[in-house]
Amino acid sequence: MRPLPAALVCAAPLLIAVAAWNPLWLAAATIGAGLLLLAAPPPRRLYAVTAISSGVIVFALNPFVSVQGLTVLWQGPHIPILDTQVTAEELAFGAGAGMRVAASALAVAAFVRLADADLLLRAVARIAPRSAMIAALATRMVPALERDAAGMVTAARTRAARMSSPRTAAGLLGPLLATALERSLGVAEAMEARGYGGPGRTRAPERPPGRRDWALVAVGAAATGLVAAALAAGATGYRYYDTLGDPLQPEAIAGALALAALMAAAAGMVRWLR
Amino acid sequence: MAALSFEAVSYRYPGAEAPALDGIDVRIDPGQLVLLVGSSGSGKSTLLRAALGLVPHFHGGELRGRVTVAGLDTRDHRPAELARHVGLVFQDPEAQLVMGRPDREAAFGLENLGHAPHEIGIRAREALAAVGASPIAHRPISVLSGGEQQRVAIASVLAMGQPILLLDEPTSQLDPVVAEELLGLVVRINRDRGVTVVLAEHRTGRLFAEADRVIAMEDGRITVDASPAVAARALRGAAAWVLPPVTQAFARSGREELPLTVRDARALAPPQPPSPAVTLPEAPVATAIVSGHKQLGDVAALDGVSTGFGAGRVTALIGENGAGKTTLARVACGLLELDRGRLRPAPSRAGYVGQDPAHYLVHDTVADEVAYALRNLGVAAGERERRVGETLEQLELTAFRARHPRDLSSGERQRLAIASVVVMEPELLVLDEPTRGVDGLRKARLVELVRTLAAQGTAVVVVTHDMDFAAEAADVVTSMAAGRVLADRAPRESLASGIFFVSQLGLALGRASLADAVALLTEPRQAARV
Repeated sequence: MRPLPAALVCAAPLLIAVAAWNPLWLAAATIGAGLLLLAAPPPRRLYAVTAISSGVIVFALNPFVSVQGLTVLWQGPHIPILDTQVTAEELAFGAGAGMRVAASALAVAAFVRLADADLLLRAVARIAPRSAMIAALATRMVPALERDAAGMVTAARTRAARMSSPRTAAGLLGPLLATALERSLGVAEAMEARGYGGPGRTRAPERPPGRRDWALVAVGAAATGLVAAALAAGATGYRYYDTLGDPLQPEAIAGALALAALMAAAAGMVRWLR
Repeated sequence: MAALSFEAVSYRYPGAEAPALDGIDVRIDPGQLVLLVGSSGSGKSTLLRAALGLVPHFHGGELRGRVTVAGLDTRDHRPAELARHVGLVFQDPEAQLVMGRPDREAAFGLENLGHAPHEIGIRAREALAAVGASPIAHRPISVLSGGEQQRVAIASVLAMGQPILLLDEPTSQLDPVVAEELLGLVVRINRDRGVTVVLAEHRTGRLFAEADRVIAMEDGRITVDASPAVAARALRGAAAWVLPPVTQAFARSGREELPLTVRDARALAPPQPPSPAVTLPEAPVATAIVSGHKQLGDVAALDGVSTGFGAGRVTALIGENGAGKTTLARVACGLLELDRGRLRPAPSRAGYVGQDPAHYLVHDTVADEVAYALRNLGVAAGERERRVGETLEQLELTAFRARHPRDLSSGERQRLAIASVVVMEPELLVLDEPTRGVDGLRKARLVELVRTLAAQGTAVVVVTHDMDFAAEAADVVTSMAAGRVLADRAPRESLASGIFFVSQLGLALGRASLADAVALLTEPRQAARV
């Protein structure tokens, strides 16, 4: 997919994740970003698992590191450093913070999987060839890392290693990185050998954007516009402490539903474009 | 003006003790086709890199002497400038592909050289068609096989259309049919378009006679630089392993005449029909029998396959890229599960050496790498030390015992990967493309190794595109296509009577292996003496 529509549709949930606190808006952004990632080409699992587990960890930790809220739900034994008094406000704040983490990670992952890395490289190469080279190496590194990780696990398994052991798995990280760096050097050398960085670079003509691309731009722009307007109007805020505010404000419900609908439409179009 | 010129060139990589190039003096004229031969680590790849200025501009190190490309001194011109005159296809396709799709990959170099946009698409498409990569032009490169990636890498350099073309083992990952097509294309480009070609290759069978010159290298020096016929005579002794198999057979049988092609060999010794009593050796106890189906994505990688691997046998799995060879081998090792069917009996201990030896380099020393599997198996320290020492000796790695694995050359890494698995003494050993980047001498040692392991009772499976290696090493040749086993045959039958998947000796003399060919060539003379 072209980088512009991909950026527009992913910007809306990312903006919410960064700037909003209302749980309805955050839920809409998390679901929307998740739908976009689901519609993107594989591999998606690693990104989804990382994003969701990060959010869950934030949610689970917050009640034990935060000492706020008046609605006590559970009082645990005294443990130094940890706050074992769990309040409804802490849980709600943890859920909000977890959704922010998950939504932002999912939105970035969706962009990585949706945006055509070649077109992105070409666009950046015109302005900053060295940065584009680094970007190219990085984008090549991700799929190569996945393949190398699979290859190393196979090699370890065939040498009787127990891959269920965290120590064994951790021991492969350094060599995996070393292999990825070796490959990156190889790609950098091949780029030089094929004239990269020389003067007078041109571009091969690409297929012009079609109706589907423009439709996606329109949906992405609408979603981003909606979010920008809601943020500017202060309609995405929410009070967690000392007591929880009412999240079910009509404007929050309407806004979150609209965002979720637009994201679902965008995900459908992404699927259609693929 | 010379296309390429090296004047008293010596080069040392950063931190290296020995020079990679040592006193190279060579001039290559426009339109020549030069074949570069020599053992792994002899300096062939470094010579090619120096011709494009990657040595020293990219790699650093210390360069002495002068290298010129189309009159341009590589010291004064960076690779990006020299790329207008010279194109280089590297050995490892995965490490040279930059873009995400073949059509864009083929366009990448043209964009860098500033070709007109309307011209880029046409040239990219033509180059992809020339290497048979049109059907995969729009697929993601990450899902292509090694052979398909190699074709794309070659197309992306051919598209640039420079007057000098350098190729570093371009056919190492290709099946024989595609490799032959590609080498034919390279010769055509040289003959019809006058492109200067310098090609480093271990499999010299197809190109030796086509070359205008053969340059042999050893320890960074040029040892022979002559026409193919003269070079064959110069190399027929200790370095005969760089010669085409037919030439080797005649040299080893003590004949004066040294044919360089199948045609010449046939003229000197008409081919014999395959031995009448070509039968498979008696079926031994099967170590692994695979029967079933395996789907990988949209492809039926194994489609109702049913075959076994016998103890004490070397089985060569051959077939075109994507035939299902690697999938079958992985299933036999228990690394992949069948969707339907079964693996029974399953080997109690299986070892798999994949195509990328870098996946086996996870420790700080060569000795630790080899000991890894034994530690995992709980082998006692004394026994472990003994087996590591023996295996290092067997694979000629003892001298590198304390070295970091990543400091080894590609051929040495390949041997280390094999050592790190062989040390377990597996019941079933799979070697997936073990001759990739391996020179003729090491290949002969690899044949000895697999024969030794089979003699000790191991079921050895070799997945290979190297028909000459299969002919030397295998007891059984299993041909595959589209996820199915076509036939299990003896090498003498399969590799001597096939059409494309056949050894050069099979084509020339009707004998698959070097030993059989030498025996055939010496028979008449012995009969005459009697």
